[in-house]
Amino acid sequence: MRPDQHDLDEEIRGHLALTIKERIEEGEDPTAARLAALKDFGNITLTRDSMRSIWRPRWLDAAEALGRDIRFALRALLRARGLAATVVVTLALGIGANAAIFSVVRGVLLRPLVNRDEDRLIYIRQSAPGIGAKNLTFSVPEIDDIKSRVKTVGMFGDFSTVDFTMIGLGSEPRMVKAGVVGGSFFDVMGLRPVLGRLLNAHDDGPKAAGAAVLTYRFWTTSLNSDPTVIGRTIRLGPRTATVVGVLERSVPYPADTEIIANVVTSPHHLGATMVTSRVHRMTELFGRLAPGASLEAARAELTSVHAAMMREHLEAYSAKAHTELSVSTLRDQIAAPARTILLLLLAAAAVVFVIACSNVANLILARSVRREGELAVRAALGAGSGALRRTLLAESLVLCGAGAVLGVVLARPFVALVSAYAARFSVRALEVSVDTSVLWVGAGLAMAAAVLLAYVPRLPSPYASAGLGLATGGVRITPGTNRRLRVFATTQIAFSFVLLAGAGMLLATLVSLQTARTGYDMRQVLAFDIPMSLTSLGDAKAIAFYQEATRRISRLPGVEDTAVGSFVPWRDAGSLGPGFQFTVEGYKPADGEENPRGRMRMVAPRFFAVLGVPMLAGRDFTADDRSGSEPVTIVSQSVAQRLFANGDAVNRHLTWTDPVFSIFGKPVPARIVGVVADVDDEHVVPGPALTIYQPAWQVGVAGRLFVHAAGDPYALVPAVTRVIREISADQPVERAATLEDVRAEVLSPERLNAFVFSGFAGIALLIAVVGVAGVLAFSVSARTREFGVRLAVGSAPRHLLARVLSEGLVIAGIGIATGAAGGYALAHVAARFFDHVQLPGIMPVIGAAAVLIGAAAVASLMPAARASRVDVLQALRSE
Amino acid sequence: MSKNPDDGRLEFLQGTLEMLILRTLQWGPQHGHGIGQAIRAHSDDLLKVETGSLYPALHRLEKRGWLKSGWGVSEAHQRAKYYRLTETGKAQLSRERDRWSQLVDAIGRVMNPAPAREE
Repeated sequence: MRPDQHDLDEEIRGHLALTIKERIEEGEDPTAARLAALKDFGNITLTRDSMRSIWRPRWLDAAEALGRDIRFALRALLRARGLAATVVVTLALGIGANAAIFSVVRGVLLRPLVNRDEDRLIYIRQSAPGIGAKNLTFSVPEIDDIKSRVKTVGMFGDFSTVDFTMIGLGSEPRMVKAGVVGGSFFDVMGLRPVLGRLLNAHDDGPKAAGAAVLTYRFWTTSLNSDPTVIGRTIRLGPRTATVVGVLERSVPYPADTEIIANVVTSPHHLGATMVTSRVHRMTELFGRLAPGASLEAARAELTSVHAAMMREHLEAYSAKAHTELSVSTLRDQIAAPARTILLLLLAAAAVVFVIACSNVANLILARSVRREGELAVRAALGAGSGALRRTLLAESLVLCGAGAVLGVVLARPFVALVSAYAARFSVRALEVSVDTSVLWVGAGLAMAAAVLLAYVPRLPSPYASAGLGLATGGVRITPGTNRRLRVFATTQIAFSFVLLAGAGMLLATLVSLQTARTGYDMRQVLAFDIPMSLTSLGDAKAIAFYQEATRRISRLPGVEDTAVGSFVPWRDAGSLGPGFQFTVEGYKPADGEENPRGRMRMVAPRFFAVLGVPMLAGRDFTADDRSGSEPVTIVSQSVAQRLFANGDAVNRHLTWTDPVFSIFGKPVPARIVGVVADVDDEHVVPGPALTIYQPAWQVGVAGRLFVHAAGDPYALVPAVTRVIREISADQPVERAATLEDVRAEVLSPERLNAFVFSGFAGIALLIAVVGVAGVLAFSVSARTREFGVRLAVGSAPRHLLARVLSEGLVIAGIGIATGAAGGYALAHVAARFFDHVQLPGIMPVIGAAAVLIGAAAVASLMPAARASRVDVLQALRSE
Repeated sequence: MSKNPDDGRLEFLQGTLEMLILRTLQWGPQHGHGIGQAIRAHSDDLLKVETGSLYPALHRLEKRGWLKSGWGVSEAHQRAKYYRLTETGKAQLSRERDRWSQLVDAIGRVMNPAPAREE
């Protein structure tokens, strides 16, 4: 039993009482007896303390000793402020980067979704890799088939995205992205309302009243969380809907919409095409696993049902498309695109941490060599190796602790940066915040670094006093220490090289993307979204609106030309799927081949002139190519060359054969009236494109406006908007941007990739340069005497300079070789776990090597210059 | 044992105090004061135990499990802590007793070497 303070006091009091009693019995008077007893006892406090210390656990003693060591370390480090600051900042960069990346990885890849029982929530996707369609989505007949046959999925929810012109929330008519869902959607997703109610089975079907739920983001950012919106009636295109509730904050998937409405708000969803056509695909499918069913069982059953369905409807699934089904939990689906990039970032951060640690190890090692004298004195005075290690550990704990604190502080802005970046790949990154896990990661890394660093320096042996400059306190560098310093510096170079080469690869990709020729006039063409609603497709009034708008805008000052189309290059990429099958007069596909697929674009007269695409043969569309006149078409150069002998396409006929169009009856051949140069409006790196242009006025589809400006294109935006509103007050006019900016926007993930990795590589390079410079500076200062002797026996100063410089370059050279070999091996290992592992081309590798060699030369220059300026007499006298 | 020049008493050889405490407690449970007095009395006033050494030693022995302590009322009608020997304490005492006699024997032979015997 461990006695407490009171027990100890009472025991001592008992002793005193007995002594006093004894003395009184021997005849002393009580006061004298008392005094004598106290005197007899001696130092009460001291005795009590030593009694108590017996009961103290040993670790408490150790902790107290460590506390003393830490105070000592603080004082020692205050005397070496420069070193301490370098170490702390280096570690903070390493720890901060790791903590930040880890937060994002945790938030995006590991944290569960808010949805109820989210591990039962699955996402089903139909894709057609054969025609490059990553997400084919589903048609209503397909969903009905799956629903009626699959037993392992208890409930299905469907979601499709529609653009509505919305009036009633906010001041202007706006084009909003809306989700249209069946009655089971929110039940399947397992989401709750924060206000009002969500859509349920009563809102399903064509007879229900129009109802809409606002997403949390839209409600908070655009409506200032106004609770009175519930019950308000809004116009969505031609229909109306009542706002019934606000959805809780959740990951917006598959699309970040502003409202989610029931089927009745979208006439298109009620139309025959939507309900009966198996190839009219626009719906995403979610499911909840039936009780007891596993994901694997559901996947197996869904796949077999899907295969059976394809066999029954061969006409709807082209063999070349390789249509297939994939099933995953929603969480994995959302995280998947970010997984590779985040793991890559984590690896980059880990590399930075290794570089930072080896640099710090270098500095600490150099410091310990300088204080070898002090350590030797302490060892000689009886400090055991444990005590000496503890001193070193305390020092590295102080350094690493400070580094961790600063690192965690740095982690906050890092997290903001990285999550904004990762949001490009996974919407979940937007909800990532800094939490206590960052602290744990930071503390863990700091502890790892501290222990590592404490074991880096060699302890002086108390017996080997001969080699230690106890008397002079001078610095002697042993070959072992020197080798260690060089190994650390080489490590830094090697890791920096890997990062630099990676960053170089991304930069090279970016440069090639940005300099690729697109075939468009990029700077002077301004593109607008002037959307037409789905219901006014083919409507004569809508066409008249676009014609009138074109006419009036062309007359605006500063406008050179203007035209209407259906597709803004790159920005609208993917919105029309993988293209449609067509055939041309006299063309027979080879055996086993299908008809080619072409991109369908609707353009008005002068479109090619406005965008700067040259006409190669025939004529442009004219105002006479209108509804009711002869069907005509213009094809791209690739179509002409691939499908016609000698590229002679003009006046031949082209027919759409894709099953999607079968709903419109027997396809009508159109006469080819012109051939234009190839432009690739789907990919930022242009490839050959089979594009078929149809006259917008004839087909009745438009929605995009292109204006060729004489001067600053953006100066025209207010005037264009005003003209359009004069014609139609409810018409949204949105997303004005030059083609150059549209492309830049599309390229921003690539730019961000290059930016983030260059950042890492830059940090690594900086640390490595400091490391090389530090090693050489230390080596030079420790060899002052050697240089003095060399100079004295006739070495030219420039020989010494060249010698030190070459030492730096040798370190860099070995580092680069190691890095190249290691990086090559790493890429091969990584290729086994990830798709698309790419080795950098020769240019980035050479570039990275050149940068490192240059940096090493610069880093060596200062120490080298110092070596060559050694004062002979002083150097020889110093020992 | 060296002579203390001040009071003519003997100082303790390191480690012997603990042995003496264990030995004293063989007669029965006792409080710290009593232990000190007993050692003094049995050594004919030659050994005086400093309270500053006695009490830490008692606690050290208790922590090792050789003694157990409990509160009782002393002759001065005050609460006092009584110590008693445990089984492991008894075993320890006999070990120390053996070691002590070996030591005394060995030192004795060094100090008073027997005349060399001839074979």
